Amino acid sequence: MDMVAGRVWADERRPVRHIDWVLLLLTVVLTIVGLVLLHSISATTPDEAAFWLVRVMKQGATAGLGSLVVVLIASFDYRFFKVYAGFIYLGALVALVLVKIPGIGATDPSGVAQRWFAIAGIQITPSEITKVCAIVMLAAILSEIRAPEPALGDLVRVLAVAAVPLVLVFIQPDIGTSIVLAAIVVGMLIVAGTRLKHLLVLTATGLVLIGLAFQLGVIQDFQRERLTAFLDRANVSEDARYNLDQSLIAVGSGGLFGRGYLKGTQTNLDYVPRQHTDFIFTVAGEEFGFVGAMFVLLLYALILWRAIRIATLSKDPFGTLVAAGIASMFAIQMFVNVGMVIGIMPITGIPLPFLSYGGSSILVSFAAIGMLESIHMRRLS
Amino acid sequence: MDKMSSRIKVLALLVALMFVALSTRLWFLQVLATTQFQQQARDNSVRFVYTEPLRGLMYDDRGRPLVGNQESLEVRVNRDAMGTQAEAVVYRLAHLLNVPVRMLVARLQTNRYYSFQPIPVAEFVPPHVRDYIAEYQELFPGVDVVPTSVRAYPQGRTAAHILGYVSPIFAGEYDRLKNKGYQQSDVIGHSGLEQVYERFLRGSQGIQKFIVNSNGETIRALGVKAPTAGDDLHLTIDLRIQRAAERELADELARARSGHDINGLPLKANAGAVIVMDAQTGAIKAMASLPSYDPRWLVRGLTKSEADYLYKSAAAPSLNRAIQLGYVPGSTFKPITALAALKEGFATLGGYYTCDATYTHPGDTSGTVFHNWTTANLGTMSLAKAITISCDTVFDGFGSKFYFSYVQNQLSDSGLLLQNDLRELGFGAPTGIDLPSEGSGLIPDPAWAKTRPDLFPDGWVPGGDILTMIGSTYMMATPLQLAQAYSAIANGGHLCRPHVVDQVVAPDGTVVKRAEDRCNRTIPYPPTDLAYIRGALGSVITSGTAQCSFSGFPTSQVWVGGKTGTAERPPHQDTSWFAAMAGHNPNAPKYVVIAMVEQGGFGAEAAAPIARHVIEDIYHLPNNGQGGCAVGDR
Repeated sequence: MDMVAGRVWADERRPVRHIDWVLLLLTVVLTIVGLVLLHSISATTPDEAAFWLVRVMKQGATAGLGSLVVVLIASFDYRFFKVYAGFIYLGALVALVLVKIPGIGATDPSGVAQRWFAIAGIQITPSEITKVCAIVMLAAILSEIRAPEPALGDLVRVLAVAAVPLVLVFIQPDIGTSIVLAAIVVGMLIVAGTRLKHLLVLTATGLVLIGLAFQLGVIQDFQRERLTAFLDRANVSEDARYNLDQSLIAVGSGGLFGRGYLKGTQTNLDYVPRQHTDFIFTVAGEEFGFVGAMFVLLLYALILWRAIRIATLSKDPFGTLVAAGIASMFAIQMFVNVGMVIGIMPITGIPLPFLSYGGSSILVSFAAIGMLESIHMRRLS
Repeated sequence: MDKMSSRIKVLALLVALMFVALSTRLWFLQVLATTQFQQQARDNSVRFVYTEPLRGLMYDDRGRPLVGNQESLEVRVNRDAMGTQAEAVVYRLAHLLNVPVRMLVARLQTNRYYSFQPIPVAEFVPPHVRDYIAEYQELFPGVDVVPTSVRAYPQGRTAAHILGYVSPIFAGEYDRLKNKGYQQSDVIGHSGLEQVYERFLRGSQGIQKFIVNSNGETIRALGVKAPTAGDDLHLTIDLRIQRAAERELADELARARSGHDINGLPLKANAGAVIVMDAQTGAIKAMASLPSYDPRWLVRGLTKSEADYLYKSAAAPSLNRAIQLGYVPGSTFKPITALAALKEGFATLGGYYTCDATYTHPGDTSGTVFHNWTTANLGTMSLAKAITISCDTVFDGFGSKFYFSYVQNQLSDSGLLLQNDLRELGFGAPTGIDLPSEGSGLIPDPAWAKTRPDLFPDGWVPGGDILTMIGSTYMMATPLQLAQAYSAIANGGHLCRPHVVDQVVAPDGTVVKRAEDRCNRTIPYPPTDLAYIRGALGSVITSGTAQCSFSGFPTSQVWVGGKTGTAERPPHQDTSWFAAMAGHNPNAPKYVVIAMVEQGGFGAEAAAPIARHVIEDIYHLPNNGQGGCAVGDR
């Protein structure tokens, strides 16, 4: 054994010695599963196959870019983000405001929502980036609380800081990301040691606010329909019911072992709307069945296990809180997205991390992985 | 930090609960309820397109075509493919076809077809329409001119009632038959052989299975089953005899209308029927019924007046009078009842019977008197003579004896000798011919009399049997039942089931169905009795009631026996009947010919000449009879 090299690698303080290889491997496997599922949507006509192959390659290229993001972010000491948390937070807020200004932000094809910038043909969705930025800002504030549990004043401060991006995202309107932001706040407050009493009051307040939003017409009709489709099947529009029905048929028809790769008629014949983005899980359900769907869920469970493990291992409260925030983000996105596809959660338009087609979603997910790696690598220093 | 790590466990627990919820739901969807979702996925994506098979053809007994198929250039419009140009296309098409725009729109706004199916909007369009649309296809997106197969009738109106017709499936039929593969746009046999042999003629549909996407676009074919043409029918009908029968019937109806009834009024002769049956096999060689209709009307669509004539007019041209209506048979019934009287021992071959001008039932005090057709007392005569000159009162006497047998056995049906004998000879029930809606006729009996207190206030009376003996008043028979019974007399006692189709032949030449064992019922009459009756029928021609009508007929070349009938049918004019048998061998005549003319006067006047001319036509003899003779029995 080369003693010199051995000593160098044995240096406990060298971060690269502590890369979480399991987390990286899981990320790569999940990304490849996503490309396979995306490719399966294409198997109809040659024209469409060509069109979808372009998308598969684009998604693959984005994932390649995402790996660079992982390396870049992991190479920074995550504590560096704590120092600049205020700038990061403000940057996200500015982007959220700018996207609403006509001529700067782009309107989506339905003309209802204004959610992204189109820069050089690439869509940049500020609400996606906001999720990670908010995690950093909230962790920075919560980690500075020295008491075993946050005082009421601390809570108000944290909620005020969280409320600004949440409201900006909500009025885009992007209810899905609002839900994710809310879940991140709750997850981080739990880990930060917030009293159960406070958490219950907070939950109650949240429910009242949601009720008000419905009552005051802040939530638009098309959103209300999609939100309630899974609860009240009889009273929703044809479109909303159609989307859910086709999704259920796709997943349900998969059976135990699935109908086989490229053999799902719901998938191949274009019966499930928005299948490459929000409803990508239907492909797994239809073509690979219960076994395939459970495999995908298992991958998420393992990633979440690694994230929670990193939160536990980190000796630094900021690192713990960031990891907990990221775990909350992945968990709520996975739960709401898959739950929506199989009819136990409202249809909200939350992408499935690593699987849904879309640049911003992929890049933000990879950035979060980079952040987790950075915490893991420096947990001993 | 201790608090944090315990709180992290809380977060982990929440995440674990999420996985439990998702897994449970997935287990329900994909394992417990998957069958239902798999069916829904199939319903989503598989579409069937049916190709209609060529319908089976019909031929006469020598292979001459009776019903064929012809091509109709049909304009079909695919609504989906018209796209945004729909209005302009419909307008151009209406102009090209020279039909009102709203008519085209009406045909397009149908729910009889799936949206992806092309809809037929015009039939039998001239080729230049096809060429024009092909040349300017960009002006007619979604419009196709395609050849389709519809019925053709190479012999025109000939045998219309036998052949029948096809027309669009009725809503009720569709509900009943959709499980057998019928579509809402199908045609189906609604009359004649087209109806009875529908399942053979139809063939089997071609089915193409397609996978379609959510826009209804075809992605690929799953499987193709080519259509199989229907089976062909080879009829027993001889086209030459059929034409002759129809011609002679039509000619005689026209001629009879220039005659007068016994009250001096012009004869209406509004309808009639002729049957030519092979007495040895039961094969129908010709069957004519007037008034009739042209089946070609139905191919190109009925006009309002044609539909009214066919379905609503009093002439009832769609009725096949040879088989569907019961008529009072008159004296053509006497050879039948004579056999019954012989069988029961009321008459013998050597016996002599009184033919007075009137007859009164023995012991009857009601004052009912039955008259012969002549006021003269003709003395005593043999049974054969009574048939030859059609003496009513001789048969009235047999009727009394049948009545006494009823009186003596009132507790059982065994006393109803006459009625049972007539049923044995095929009356009172359909013969079972392979044509639809056959009539049963009526044999009057005590049970029936109870249902008609207006006619029989005192129940069954001697007159019931006496009138039936001479085929009068209440007795009803279809011309076909008469043909069947006369054939049994001609062939020595076999009751043959009449039939129109000899063979059903599949497109590959195999015989699917053959008329066999049609003569397996026998009637319990000794050959001597039957020969005796045939002899009497021969005398009718040479020296009896039909002597005048058959004067000059070369009976030495072709033996003919027959019986006239003049059936009273108040308030209408008399029904004119003639039942004949003819052949080279008097002991086994080949053909039975029945002729019937509604409101045609005496049997010898309208019906006998028809039978004579048809027989002459069958045997290639010149038509040299002088027509009808307003003489004979009533």
